[in-house]
Amino acid sequence: MSALLEIDAVTRRFGGLTAVDGFSGVVRRGERVGLIGPNGAGKTTLFNLISGFTPVSSGEIRFDARVMAGMKSFQIARLGVGRTFQNLRIFPNMTVFDNVSVGAIGAAGHSVWKALARNRSAAETVSAGTWAALERTGLTDLAGQLAANLSYGRRKYLEIARALALEPELLILDEPAAGLNDTETAELAGFVEGLNADGTTVLLVEHDMGFVMSLCQRVMVMASGRKIADGTPAEIGRDAQVLEAYLGTEEGT
Amino acid sequence: MARGGESPILFDIFFFQQLVNGVAIGLVYALMAIGFTLIFGVLNVVNFAHGEVYMIGAYAGLLAITAFAPPLFVVVLIALAAGALTGFGLERIAFRPFRRFRDEASLKSKAMREATLLSSLAMSIIAREAVEIIMGSNMQPIPQQYLLLQPVQIGPLTFASGQFLIFGVSVVSLAALQWLLNRTRIGLSIRAVANNPVGAMYVGIDTNRTIVATFIIGSMLGAVAGILVGLYQGTIFPGMGFTPGIKAFVAMVMGGLNSIVGAVACALILGVSEALATNFIAQGWADLIAYSFLVITLVFFPTGLFGAARERI
Repeated sequence: MSALLEIDAVTRRFGGLTAVDGFSGVVRRGERVGLIGPNGAGKTTLFNLISGFTPVSSGEIRFDARVMAGMKSFQIARLGVGRTFQNLRIFPNMTVFDNVSVGAIGAAGHSVWKALARNRSAAETVSAGTWAALERTGLTDLAGQLAANLSYGRRKYLEIARALALEPELLILDEPAAGLNDTETAELAGFVEGLNADGTTVLLVEHDMGFVMSLCQRVMVMASGRKIADGTPAEIGRDAQVLEAYLGTEEGT
Repeated sequence: MARGGESPILFDIFFFQQLVNGVAIGLVYALMAIGFTLIFGVLNVVNFAHGEVYMIGAYAGLLAITAFAPPLFVVVLIALAAGALTGFGLERIAFRPFRRFRDEASLKSKAMREATLLSSLAMSIIAREAVEIIMGSNMQPIPQQYLLLQPVQIGPLTFASGQFLIFGVSVVSLAALQWLLNRTRIGLSIRAVANNPVGAMYVGIDTNRTIVATFIIGSMLGAVAGILVGLYQGTIFPGMGFTPGIKAFVAMVMGGLNSIVGAVACALILGVSEALATNFIAQGWADLIAYSFLVITLVFFPTGLFGAARERI
């Protein structure tokens, strides 16, 4: 399997705090990779570095062999990196359909200026992409609803649908199972597995260990900004360093 | 209404005439209020130079008229172009330098809001003074043949031709705006950024470009309002944008800050109230209406008359 995302000795400092400290890791095409670690380990910062929200202090991130340094978030998104958030960032006062359309526009990758000039066929592409993502996430019937009116669980799927409309090669999920009950979590795991089976590479941060260990083929463990382990769920479960990192911390699960 | 005799009918005619005048001026406020609302929607800041965009639209139209006397619709197009250019420049000079969109904390910070408040205020003073130096501070008359004050008689009512133009252009502009916001990608991008800028950029929306587009669209509407009023009232001057700017700002606040529909509705309420108020109080006091509305809104409807649901563009 070829590497889709390569993180090479990446460091991010915020003033005196080193949130991510020389992290290296690879996500290969078609993999389901989990990123775990105690609170404050730097997982979300790492996600923000990958998606271009924050620039790296040193090191290099490559997606599909392209160096992403200096790229803005929207450009990285258009390259095919979809992302969801720990605290949802949907567009509450837009319909479900319009929410997802915004992602489909990103997939079409056209500049907003061209949008006014040439519209017809592009509009059809956007609409087709939107409906496909809605169907994928089971939101077709809710297309006309205002996003703010959806239940929390549906909103999570809406955010995933919006990311899927980008037609991402890599889907990054930040705590997708947070706030879901056991049934919903199991459902989500099945859903993510299905996406992955269809060719989307998945990288996720999650605190629900059961979810990570059953869903992911490989798990990277982060503590204090560094990678302390990288292996199959079974290997991670036996890793002395990992156990040490989790023992005595506030991590419950 | 009909109580018999002649006077009720006369009253009704006068009332109706004032109503039409009020709607016309209300539409002008609405065109301006949309610019405020759009920009507030995407950036959460108030553009204090919006009144000067209106003034520049009027001057651009006048310059075109004196230079080569084009047909009326070309004058309007030139005002639109001037508005687009002004909006583009304004965003570059007064807003972009203070924006660090990659960082959510500074995006929401008060400091950014206050910085752009002052920078746009500064730009408005500079623009006004510059026009005063170049064109003079006195009233500039609009050439007679362009004046839109020909009386149009419909039954017992008399309208000025400019009122029809204001109606026509406003309705077309409002319809075009609705189409743009709901049916085009750029409109979808504007709404997305207004809803959640960070979410928007993670799904491939170029927030900077979207903001530029917002300034251009809002300023085009402001500039066209300026030339319409210029042609209708017959004179233009460097400070002409101040009062309508205040009125449009009040309409935006009354409408709930983020709601275009609310802003347009409140602009119309404001325009009509002012026109009808001249029945009861002296002309000069009509401005008091807007300020009273503002105070009443802020005290009794802190989220605006239509803002209860906190809707956004």
